[in-house]
Amino acid sequence: MSGHRAGRITDDEISELISKLQSLLPESSRRGAAGRSSASKLLQETCRYIRSLHREVDDLNNRLSELMATMDGDSPQADVIRNLLRLL
Amino acid sequence: MYAPRKFKKAFMAQLLVSLRAAGQASKSMGLRERRDAVRLSSDVAMALASARAGEAPRSTAWARALVARHAAERRNEALMRRIMGGAGYEMAAAAARSRKEARSRRIVRRSRRVCSGAERKRRSSLTAASGRCSAMAAARRMVKARLQVLRSLVPGGEALRGLSLLSETLDYVVCLKTQVELMQCLCKGSRPKLG
Repeated sequence: MSGHRAGRITDDEISELISKLQSLLPESSRRGAAGRSSASKLLQETCRYIRSLHREVDDLNNRLSELMATMDGDSPQADVIRNLLRLL
Repeated sequence: MYAPRKFKKAFMAQLLVSLRAAGQASKSMGLRERRDAVRLSSDVAMALASARAGEAPRSTAWARALVARHAAERRNEALMRRIMGGAGYEMAAAAARSRKEARSRRIVRRSRRVCSGAERKRRSSLTAASGRCSAMAAARRMVKARLQVLRSLVPGGEALRGLSLLSETLDYVVCLKTQVELMQCLCKGSRPKLG
């Protein structure tokens, strides 16, 4: 998606990126008076969203590592993880 | 062009490969080490898969930076070699070294500017102009501050300017969302619908 551009950046390119970014953010942050969204608000929402995604990933990493710790055991969870990872 | 299905498939496959390596390596590990191994696996899997997310191989700054970040720690070498292969790891380690140098150069440049008083002159000339239009200047400062925060959140962001920061952010957020989705599936113990 990136690439070095020799020419000037067009307004079109900027607004395309901005609207794509806006469509990625969760619904709740898009609510509000249309047209009131400023660059600053968009950036703030993006940062907030990235932080929450990081937290989710951390949590999932922890859960996954706990699951893997139980892999030697007999639970159905252990079976599934073992199957998925085919470590047996 | 970005291809979500291709990306998800590559990501899931790579995730399993990485976790398998981490699982084997972690048999003798303590809790914290295993967590770090899993974090490394999922991050590297995401970065590697993103290179295969399009019709042609692609490389994003965030993916290179993420891999380099993990490669910068010596204790990750063994696991990373298993996941990426020797050649892949060597490239990542080299990238980590050059990033470190680039960061030091940036810091030195910035401190030279500040010490020479050039920074003070630059700021005072800005405020002179902004006195006439303080609302716009304040808005600009706010945007600048938020961009700085964004730079700290996106891997490799410190080295990116303007448009490339935005496009890297877009790509990174899409991949993060997929990472969450796939890992949730793994934790629930089911295979995700990839089609």
